Amino acid sequence: MCLGIPMQVKSIDQYQAICEAKGIERDVSLFMLQDEDIRPGDFVVVHVGYAIQKISQQEAQSAWEVYDQMLAAEDALAEELVDAPGA
Amino acid sequence: MTTTAKKWLERIHALPLEGVTKIMNVCGGHERSITMAGLRKVLPDEIELVPGPGCPVCICPEEDVFEAIQLALNEDIILIAFGDMLRVPVNVSKTRARTLEQAKAAGADIRPIATPREAVDIAAQNPDKAVVFFAAGFETTTAPVASMLVQGVPKNLFILLSGRLTWPAVAMLLDSGQAAFQTLIAPGHVATVMGPEEWQFVPEEHKMPAAVAGFSPESLLAAMYSVLRQRVEGKAFLDNCYPELVRAGGNPTAQAQLKTSMDVVDANWRGIGVIPQSGFALSEAYAQHNARKQFPSYAEDARKRAGEMPPGCDCAKVVLGQIYPDQCRLYANACVPRNPVGPCMVSDEGACRIWWSGGVRKNAVS
Repeated sequence: MCLGIPMQVKSIDQYQAICEAKGIERDVSLFMLQDEDIRPGDFVVVHVGYAIQKISQQEAQSAWEVYDQMLAAEDALAEELVDAPGA
Repeated sequence: MTTTAKKWLERIHALPLEGVTKIMNVCGGHERSITMAGLRKVLPDEIELVPGPGCPVCICPEEDVFEAIQLALNEDIILIAFGDMLRVPVNVSKTRARTLEQAKAAGADIRPIATPREAVDIAAQNPDKAVVFFAAGFETTTAPVASMLVQGVPKNLFILLSGRLTWPAVAMLLDSGQAAFQTLIAPGHVATVMGPEEWQFVPEEHKMPAAVAGFSPESLLAAMYSVLRQRVEGKAFLDNCYPELVRAGGNPTAQAQLKTSMDVVDANWRGIGVIPQSGFALSEAYAQHNARKQFPSYAEDARKRAGEMPPGCDCAKVVLGQIYPDQCRLYANACVPRNPVGPCMVSDEGACRIWWSGGVRKNAVS
C-alpha cells in the first residue's frame, strides 16, 4: 500500500494532473506538491492517486527499469506456481 | 540481478561478519521486493531478513473492521475502503458477516477504491446519501487522506480513520528490550513524506545501525550493506540509500496538511495493543467529517478490549518479527490466500501473503 509509482505529467488543471506511465494515463492530485514547481513533462512519484514527490527523468527511468525486472520476475514465479502443489 | 545489485552483494559477502545479524524491515513493499528478488537466497548465511510491522491492513484494529462492517450493514450509507480491507476477517460467529466482502454480499453498499479522490467523486455523485470512507494506512496513505480533507470534501463524506505511524511501533519494540533484530531498514516512501529524521532515534537512542531504503534490489542491498558495515565497524548512524526521493525534511506540504486535519494520538494495533502516539485521529476542525462522531459506535467494549487475531493465528508474532510467516501454526495449512484466517495472509503487504506469493509452501512447524 505504501508503494509509489513514477509517472510523467502530461497536463495540469489547477491541482489535478493527467499523468502517464507505461502508456496508461491516470488522474493524479498535485495538492501535496502545490509548493513545488510542477510542469507538463516533469516526473512525479504517485501513491494512491497523489503525487508525493518530484523526481528527475533519469530517476524515473531507472526506477521503471527496476520495476520491469521485478514484474517480470513475479510473472515468471507465478507461472511456475500455477501447477505447484497447494497453489 | 543488475550489475549494481551484484556489486552490492559482493561487498556484503566481503564483510567480516561474526555471528548472525538480523535486519528488520518495516514495509510490505520492502518485504515484497526482498522476497520476489530472492535476496534471502543470495545473502550470506549469517544474515537474516526479518519482516516487521510493515502492513497497515494487518495491524488495523479488529474493532475498526467490525465497526465498518456494522456501519455498512445497519446505516443507510455507502461504505468505501481501499480494496485490501474488504477481505480482512473479524471474530464473529459464522452466521454473521466476517468481512466487508461478506457484508457486501449480504446487501450492504460497499465499494473498493484506489484513491481518496474516488471518495470525493462518489460523495459528490450521491449528495443525498452519507458516504463513509474507511481509511486505514500508514503515513504514506494517510497523508493523501489529509490532503483530500484540506482541499475540501462534500459535506456527506465521513472518514472512519484508522491511520497509523510506523516509527512508534519500532520504538516500542526497541524500548521493550526484546527486539529480535540488530539493524533496521527504514521505509522509503514513509520517509519521502515524513522525512528521514523520524528514524534518527534508532541510532541515537538505541545505538542501532539504520538506513532508509527504496524498493529496488539495488537500494535494498545498499541499505543492507550500510547497516552491516556500521555493525562491523561498531558505528550507528542513519544512512539514506534512497536519496533520489527521500530528502531532508520530507514533503513539508504533506506534513502541514496532516497537521491541519489530524491529531497524533495513542492507538491500538491489532494483536499488539495500544502504542503511544502512534495513530492519527481527525482534528476537532474536521469533526463534521468524522464518522466516529457522526455515527453510532457498534464495537462493544469487550471487542475493543480483545482486539485480537483469530484463534490459532500467529499474525501478531509475525508482525512483530518474533517468528517468520512459515512458523505460524496455520500457515499453508488452514490459512491460505483463498481462505485467509489472519490479516497477514489477506493483504498484498502482509508477510504471509508475500511469502506465499514467493513460493514458500512448507509449514515449518507441521
